[in-house]
Amino acid sequence: MRAGEVGRALLGLVVLAGLLLPWLSVAPNRLLPGVAASGFAAISWAAPAALVAVVLAVPQRLPAWLGAPAALAGVALLLTATGWAAALSLEGLAPAARAGLGGGFWLGLVAGAALVVARAAALPGMGRAVLAAFALLTLLLLWQAGTFEALSLVVEYRAREAVVHAALLRHLALAGAALALALLLAVPLAWAGFRRPGAAGPVGAALGAVQVVPAIALFAALIPLLAGLLALLPALRSLGLGAIGPAPAVLATAGYLALPLWRSVLGGLTAADPAAVAAARAMGMTEGGITREVRLPLALPVFAGGLRVAVVQAIGLVTLGGLVGAGGLGALVFEGLAQFATDLMLLGALPIMALALAADALIRLLEHRLGGSA
Amino acid sequence: MMALLLAAVLALVALLPGWFGGFPPGRLLGLAAGHAGLALAGVVPAALLGLALGVLVTRPSGRALRPAADAFAAAAQAVPPVVAVALAVPAMGFGWGPTILALLLYGIMPVLRATVAALEAVPPEARLAALALGYTPAGALREVELPLAWPLVLGGLRVALVLAVATAAVGALAGAATLGTPIVLGLQNQNQILVLQGAAATASLAFAAEGLLLALAGYAAARGGRSSASPASSAGAAQSRKP
Repeated sequence: MRAGEVGRALLGLVVLAGLLLPWLSVAPNRLLPGVAASGFAAISWAAPAALVAVVLAVPQRLPAWLGAPAALAGVALLLTATGWAAALSLEGLAPAARAGLGGGFWLGLVAGAALVVARAAALPGMGRAVLAAFALLTLLLLWQAGTFEALSLVVEYRAREAVVHAALLRHLALAGAALALALLLAVPLAWAGFRRPGAAGPVGAALGAVQVVPAIALFAALIPLLAGLLALLPALRSLGLGAIGPAPAVLATAGYLALPLWRSVLGGLTAADPAAVAAARAMGMTEGGITREVRLPLALPVFAGGLRVAVVQAIGLVTLGGLVGAGGLGALVFEGLAQFATDLMLLGALPIMALALAADALIRLLEHRLGGSA
Repeated sequence: MMALLLAAVLALVALLPGWFGGFPPGRLLGLAAGHAGLALAGVVPAALLGLALGVLVTRPSGRALRPAADAFAAAAQAVPPVVAVALAVPAMGFGWGPTILALLLYGIMPVLRATVAALEAVPPEARLAALALGYTPAGALREVELPLAWPLVLGGLRVALVLAVATAAVGALAGAATLGTPIVLGLQNQNQILVLQGAAATASLAFAAEGLLLALAGYAAARGGRSSASPASSAGAAQSRKP
């Protein structure tokens, strides 16, 4: 048995464990804990079939073009059956009753999806793209058909659709603002460090020290510090700066993003072979021309790597903005935490994770493009 | 040294207001002890697991698990500690549970990555030479590869410990009594002194952790440099900043 097979077999066992754990629970309302049923009880007819389909992705002997789609079909079956079971379990109950997803469902879903991805890794690029498109299309069709409307999470989303969309946009705006501010800080500092290497050491130490400060401490500490600053310089208030709200969130997040950006810009600029730079100079290129024609093309892939780390961190860190009154998806997470409303928490947390993973994958793609052309 | 100095200054900032009507210093110190204990309790098993996994995926028999480990590390990085703590609440309830789970998750990653990078940075000739001298593969790992890799692994341990201090602070949102508690209390009651004290104390603890591990890494590099004069170890110590 090969190691890849062992890993996939472990994932298959996790799917099985998920089906044995609480899968779906029916509660009288959105806050009370419900009566949970295991996967084999909640979706009794579909669970064994889905398990078999998912496990087809495990053996190496079965070709990937068979195993990966089979596992995908198994995951889709799990999703569909869970949606239907939720609708069925709510029949005849009061309108406030909720059918919530249990820990077993999430465990099974994540492990099943991981199995699909792991087996699809053996497919050629075209096959993976087709499989991904097919997965997205299936999900979209199931959603359009209203398969998931009875699930507590979707009910919660329907009740707060406008709030969630606004929070998502605000989250992106905060992350974007922090990224822009960090770039404004990091790029000139990196340029200065490149021109005068002696300056790079202290700048790196200072930016590194910020990384050590726990995020919650920096976000929180900026409130009294900004309040003090505003008391000294009330004119700043007219610029829209406040001690509570987006200002501390954007400032603190930018503080953490500065190091990866600074390091990648500096690393990219110094990536050019000194011999290539000397050759360009000997050919009569100006300093600006060398930077544009020689250094930048070599710097871009390195910079894309730093940008990826910074974007993923920005999306995650801005979450804490919910604590300091900046809003965003973090506000939903903390509101859910305060109310002990799991679904509300998930409405904030799931988009954060999806955004971070999507940003990571997109910029990785860009990196490969840049790396390939350079 | 710089980190330890910063830790001392921040500790003063955190404790001083206590004598003028802020959060009492005694309770702050108690929370600090609990915070440090929690972070260590989470990070020690996680680090051992990360180390073991790192060794496993760099062995010839475990090499096929490497992509899975990389994907796991990338996925875990996409989940911020706050979200991990929040997601664990429904499963484990308020209290220490969610924080310990998040600590375990976040402790594995940096150590795993550092171990893999460190073992791959060991020159293959060193391992081959050890095997030629008659070491068993396990003996070569223990006597040659791990000592050479150790400074880089220590860098990963440092990142894990600093991250654990930060995660334990976030745990206050899920009901764990840590140095994040004064921050959360202060934010809820609009008491900025409390917020500042909690923030300074948390940062102080993080700098103390960083400083102690840096000192340990310096000691290990100095000793490693004397005993084996390896280029890998000194290069590793120099480039072991955060991922």
